[in-house]
Amino acid sequence: MLVDNLEKRLAEEKELNDSIQAPDELEMRLRSALHNAPKKTKRFALSWKIVAVTLFFIILMESQYNAFAFYGKKLFGFDEMINGTLKELNEKGMGQMVGKKTELEDGTELRINGLISDSNQLVVYYTLSNPKGIDDTLSDNFRLSRISGFLTNSNAEGGTSLMNDDHTEIKGTLSFEPVSPFSKKLNLHFWQPLQNDQMTEGSIAIPYNPNKAMAAEFKQSLKKTSKVDKGTITFHSITASPTMTMIKGTLNVENFDRVDTSFGGIELMANGKPVEIMGSSNLSSIKGRKFDIRYNALPKQLNSLELVIKEFAGYQRLEEKISLSSINNGPISLDGKELWIKNVSTTSQGVEITIATDDDVMLDGVSLKTQKEVIPLKTTVNQTYTKQEDGKEVKERTLQFDSTARPEYLLIEGMHYMKVYNKKMEIPVD
Amino acid sequence: MNVIRLVNKAKKGSKEALLQLIMAEKDDYYRLALTYLENSHDAMDAMAEMIVKVYENIDQLKKEEAFYSWSKTILVNCCKSMLRKQKRLVLIDDWHTSNPSQEQTSNPYLSSDRQLDIKELLIHLNEQQKEAIQLKYFHDLDYQTIADMTSVSIGTVKSRIFQGLKKLRDHYRGDVSG
Repeated sequence: MLVDNLEKRLAEEKELNDSIQAPDELEMRLRSALHNAPKKTKRFALSWKIVAVTLFFIILMESQYNAFAFYGKKLFGFDEMINGTLKELNEKGMGQMVGKKTELEDGTELRINGLISDSNQLVVYYTLSNPKGIDDTLSDNFRLSRISGFLTNSNAEGGTSLMNDDHTEIKGTLSFEPVSPFSKKLNLHFWQPLQNDQMTEGSIAIPYNPNKAMAAEFKQSLKKTSKVDKGTITFHSITASPTMTMIKGTLNVENFDRVDTSFGGIELMANGKPVEIMGSSNLSSIKGRKFDIRYNALPKQLNSLELVIKEFAGYQRLEEKISLSSINNGPISLDGKELWIKNVSTTSQGVEITIATDDDVMLDGVSLKTQKEVIPLKTTVNQTYTKQEDGKEVKERTLQFDSTARPEYLLIEGMHYMKVYNKKMEIPVD
Repeated sequence: MNVIRLVNKAKKGSKEALLQLIMAEKDDYYRLALTYLENSHDAMDAMAEMIVKVYENIDQLKKEEAFYSWSKTILVNCCKSMLRKQKRLVLIDDWHTSNPSQEQTSNPYLSSDRQLDIKELLIHLNEQQKEAIQLKYFHDLDYQTIADMTSVSIGTVKSRIFQGLKKLRDHYRGDVSG
């Protein structure tokens, strides 16, 4: 009997597992990854193989799909695989050759091949090589970490590296915060592994010619503040350099991280067309939360520029009281958004209510009303994405409450969601 | 859908054919990745890494009909290497990886406390036994594929599953009577 029971539980778990469906955005992600993979050509016997795609950020990168495209561009900004904005700049000879090398603890050579620099970032091109083969410990742990110099302390922001098939060479690019135009010599710091899982920091001096750094083509103070439901967004500046366009500002919005991709809803329109977003980051400081949003470089011929808050985190007060005594399959309308109650169950552990909403909806102030009392939400578990019968994808999760009494009503104070604002602000260009 | 014809097209460099192959069993891949990574973003990242590796190495696939078990093995390896990297990122504090939103995305299953939850029972097993049982019972994979994915012999896989089930039964009995 017990044996049968275990088999039954395993079968049940499989059924549960089988109900998980891949999110719709998966296809775009795969398409994009594949699109960025270098075309296979028969002539090159030595085909590069992606061994590590590492993105590391001081701050949180949002909008993963676009971020990948951005760093993917740099990934191939080296060697025969280069393309895009950096390739164009490379071909125009805007980069600086460095050609400095040093030997690491395990005998591997680190060579700094070159760099390309402007007022938004400094990108380093480097190579690790060891004819005896590069050890996994090194390839997994080696990191360029920061650049120091006169008035300069720039942290690494993100980058990518590739290992060849023979495991004897890794080529990589890494983006750093911009360096001061007054530095003539830079120290590039790196971390390498020692025995016993320890790491040590080393550095290599590289010459730098600030005159060859590319100046911003367009820099403007914005000082524009926009109101959203839970606070304000202030845009301070826009800096368009040859490698990218950066918008900086501060944010005082309580619930901006309650939806997945708040910054993804802010568009930069050049000549009426959206400029590809490459990523965004935000960082809390004493003065509030700073953010930056990075877009691709602006077109050469610039006639108009506009910043549009298409969507951003919003909040809607609801004060809903939903009866749980009779649940049917139809959705309950929450001020234009839909809520499905899929299941209500009471166990000795408590009450569990499985609900589904649109992906961007996060309920706020949820509690359960029984005949006697109001019980606050304990936790939310098992969040998955499922497809409804009508093909619509929804976010499903189970709410747990500490109560063994019969639930009567579900109380919802409000919801956070991706709200359409469509606020436009023009940026004058001359 | 003719798998062999699509695999041959993919071997000639057709990205579209490869995408069609993967998308046809996207849910299977996704569930497999979730078994290891347990959050949607990471699972999709692992699949993106997988599709690039498959594209680059598909010449090495000798038996076209084995495409699915072969590519799923690659996916499992991608997941494991991501897990290794995640562990490392936490260790090196110079790498500023801490961010508040990670807490939300970390592991939505950890706090699940369904009664006699099979996932809780699985905690009693060692990693290898747990992995083998998950692959066999939740993903319906055959012994040979599991052996390839975990780089051990079929005999070892069978023994891991046998020992794992035995342990589960002992604990299950304990949970029921206790």
